[in-house]
Amino acid sequence: MFNAKVKSDVLKGIIDVTSPLVNEAKFNVTSKGISLRAVDPAHVAMVDLEIKSKAFEEYKADEMELGIDLDKFSGIMRLANSGDMISLEYDEDANRLIIKIGNLVRKMGLIDTAGMPDSKAPNLTLPAKIIIKASELSQGVRASEAVSDHLTLSVDKDTFELFAEGDTDTVHLKLPKDMLVELTTQGKHKSLFSIDYFSNMIKSVKGDDPITISMGTDNPIKVDFDFADKKGHVSYLLAPRIESD
Amino acid sequence: MGVDIGELFHKEPCSYTDFSGKIIAIDAHNVLHQFLSSIRQRDGTPLKDANGNITSHLSGLLYRTANLVEARIRPVYVFDGVPHPLKARTLAERRERKEQAERAWKEALEKGDIEKARSKAQQTSRVTKEIIHQSKELLAALGIPFVQAQSEGEAQASYMVKKGEAYAVGSQDFDCLLFGTPLLIRNLTSSGKRKLPNKKAYVDVNPEIIKLEPDLKTLDITREQLIDMAILIGTDFNEGVKGLGPKKSYQLIKKTKDLEHAIPTMNQTILPTSSEIAEIRNLFLKPTNTDDYCLSWSKPDNNKVLRILCDEHQFSRERIEPILEKFIVLETIQKQKNLFEF
Repeated sequence: MFNAKVKSDVLKGIIDVTSPLVNEAKFNVTSKGISLRAVDPAHVAMVDLEIKSKAFEEYKADEMELGIDLDKFSGIMRLANSGDMISLEYDEDANRLIIKIGNLVRKMGLIDTAGMPDSKAPNLTLPAKIIIKASELSQGVRASEAVSDHLTLSVDKDTFELFAEGDTDTVHLKLPKDMLVELTTQGKHKSLFSIDYFSNMIKSVKGDDPITISMGTDNPIKVDFDFADKKGHVSYLLAPRIESD
Repeated sequence: MGVDIGELFHKEPCSYTDFSGKIIAIDAHNVLHQFLSSIRQRDGTPLKDANGNITSHLSGLLYRTANLVEARIRPVYVFDGVPHPLKARTLAERRERKEQAERAWKEALEKGDIEKARSKAQQTSRVTKEIIHQSKELLAALGIPFVQAQSEGEAQASYMVKKGEAYAVGSQDFDCLLFGTPLLIRNLTSSGKRKLPNKKAYVDVNPEIIKLEPDLKTLDITREQLIDMAILIGTDFNEGVKGLGPKKSYQLIKKTKDLEHAIPTMNQTILPTSSEIAEIRNLFLKPTNTDDYCLSWSKPDNNKVLRILCDEHQFSRERIEPILEKFIVLETIQKQKNLFEF
């Protein structure tokens, strides 16, 4: 059984953080909430998402899996306005999710989750941790998009830096420790990342909301943030690129 | 060509996205032959430039490789080296069949039987030295690596997968399984449609993957036993035993364990000799391979590609230029690490 009522913004939040990586996802439903782990087809990035039952206005569920076509779901959610209450109900006999938006009833066929693999997260030791306001980080990333397809993140005990270089243009964002919410590191670290992936990961976080970055040298980066009034949490992993010739 | 053991294996449908970011070692001879047979006009005439030179292989290499690259697959083409002396008989037979098919094609054309003409024409395809040379030249210009095998291309491609450098072999040929590739992808460079022989109907051709280990486990045999079965069925290197197909050979080897025990139970006159058996087993189990190659993808040299395709072979510039853009992504994919490397 799965029966819930939730504000459309929470569902849109879930779609925003998962759909850039995968077209289909397996949502694990329990009585405590919903979680998901998905890896993009190129195995470059992974998303781990958790949303507590408290994020829902009403929530009743047994343990189950829901296989959702995110493109389809996203299209349905575009029918709802911000603040609309959405009712969700699992129809076991037809394997469909019944979505009610006001007087609109939309029944969405679910995907068989049997063939969808459970990915294991790689075991990483990431020695640097930075907590930064979303607006600061996204400014640097948006600037970098215009000059290159990859950016360099580096950190030492005093500063966190973002650098991107194209054929003629460069972007450099230098944030001293006192401009950050937190900076702890053992030594200097530097890694390169694809801007496409990175910008998709942080685009749903806005304004002063904090983003936690864990990184090392030529290692994947971990990006953590809360959503749905801190009742949901997202953790991304992104594999690095290697230095160009 | 190759050994007829396909029906014993489980073929799992798959799609390009399953191989995104992965390196696939493509059996060059196999795909070139496929391009030469299938990329033809309705009456069977291959694509030709203004001087009458065949260009089907160039068209195939460009468009089909572009499809792979667009799915972020990194292809490496593996070319055949010197054929094993035991293959001489197969090669001579193929030559003869092609000459027959060529005569039949001409006859059909004279009679105006377009259907038959095309089908016969497809059997005349020859991967000549010239075609191989032009293909390598085009791949180099496209920034796609290729490897020159010492002997069989399938052997070298399988070796690269076993070494962990490539994810799977792309070939139609089941021989790759005898050479021990853990994964074989078929229909990787097919067009998506294939005409049914002697019918006016087409079937969808989708990529499929064969996994060696799980299938050997299901069949409850070893790769050595699979090779013994292949020798009974007939390979590119021996004729096989009359009346023995995949099913009977499987049952026989399953019952008797190996050829040494299987052969005394048969009453045919023509049987593989023990020196032949030793030689073929060795060829599949310990082929001569090379480590002399570099797996590196670079941006295409647009001017060079345009010179080869448009200036030398009259391809249309407007059609080639947008295809070339698809190749730019390769350099980026190469530099991107994958999460499970950590």
